[in-house]
Amino acid sequence: MRKAFLIIFVFLFGCRDKFPVLEDFSKDHFHLKNQNNQEILFPDFAKGNIVLVNYIFTNCPDICPLSTNNLRLIQRRLKDEKIKDVYFISLSFDPENDTPEALSKFAEIRNLDLSNWQFLTGNKPAIDSIIKKANVIAAKSDSTIFKNGRKIFSFIHTDRIQLIDALSQIRKNYKGSTANIDEIVTDVKSLQKN
Amino acid sequence: MRKHICLKWIFLLSIIALIDAGSKAQAQSNTVPKKQITINNAWIRPSVKDGNTAIYFTISNTGDKPDTLIDAQSNRAEIVEVHESYQMPNDRIGMRQVKSIVINPKSKIEFKPGGYHVMVLGVYKDYKIGDEFNFVLVFKRAGKLKLQAAVKDLN
Repeated sequence: MRKAFLIIFVFLFGCRDKFPVLEDFSKDHFHLKNQNNQEILFPDFAKGNIVLVNYIFTNCPDICPLSTNNLRLIQRRLKDEKIKDVYFISLSFDPENDTPEALSKFAEIRNLDLSNWQFLTGNKPAIDSIIKKANVIAAKSDSTIFKNGRKIFSFIHTDRIQLIDALSQIRKNYKGSTANIDEIVTDVKSLQKN
Repeated sequence: MRKHICLKWIFLLSIIALIDAGSKAQAQSNTVPKKQITINNAWIRPSVKDGNTAIYFTISNTGDKPDTLIDAQSNRAEIVEVHESYQMPNDRIGMRQVKSIVINPKSKIEFKPGGYHVMVLGVYKDYKIGDEFNFVLVFKRAGKLKLQAAVKDLN
């Protein structure tokens, strides 16, 4: 009897322990724009799907491309394993520079498969609210001024890929640039089964 | 007597010539032939025109003297600098310029994602996977090394 109770307990609460709710986006409705300049309501558009999101700025030469490439590798693995209902989001925390056009070019030059992947930007208050809730820090650091007067900023930022469940709750954080692809693929599968 | 003086001069000039040759040889041994610094597996991430990207490679010093990387240059972008990404608490990442890097004798230094890289700002055209990017590394002893990086992403 005690054994049966334990099995039921593990069945009911085991996955929640493995993926505790870190934050909840379910009651939020942020108006953002994607790489095609289309209005996207975040996180509503992805509800019912597992979401993997990374936080980037397109002028980042090293870490953000690495984190984005890891999302690409995860996307490919999930596709190979015929795992559906997973969305990918790359959310820019540099909306002043990262226009929809800049995001589109960033994705295009990397030949990314955008069939289930949105690059998102928006107005600064909305972006700031999202990253604050996601516990992501992005602080402007060095600036560079080009000959034509164009000024860009570098950022000290959180290096993160985040796992969000079908109810728009953040369930796990990974280090974006050094993410373990196998671990994330396994977690996506576990969370889908739950 | 005259013959004796002449022989003395010949002897003196020979000594001077030997000393000069010796000092030239010494000077040559202080310069590192370029082949003692080799660069392998240079690659660069894709970038759109006016965008930023990073070059990665491995520097090997097979010589018996240290050398120092002091600059990176390219006529394919507006600004080229040596940088490193560094870890901070709570999974935060920062980036800073590095003025010089010493490569010790018989050692290698890897420029890799998340660490040392050559930062390239404002490339003059799109660089897609499969393209090549020309750049130069400048060493204190080995001088300028002209290089090519293949545009690719990690698999």
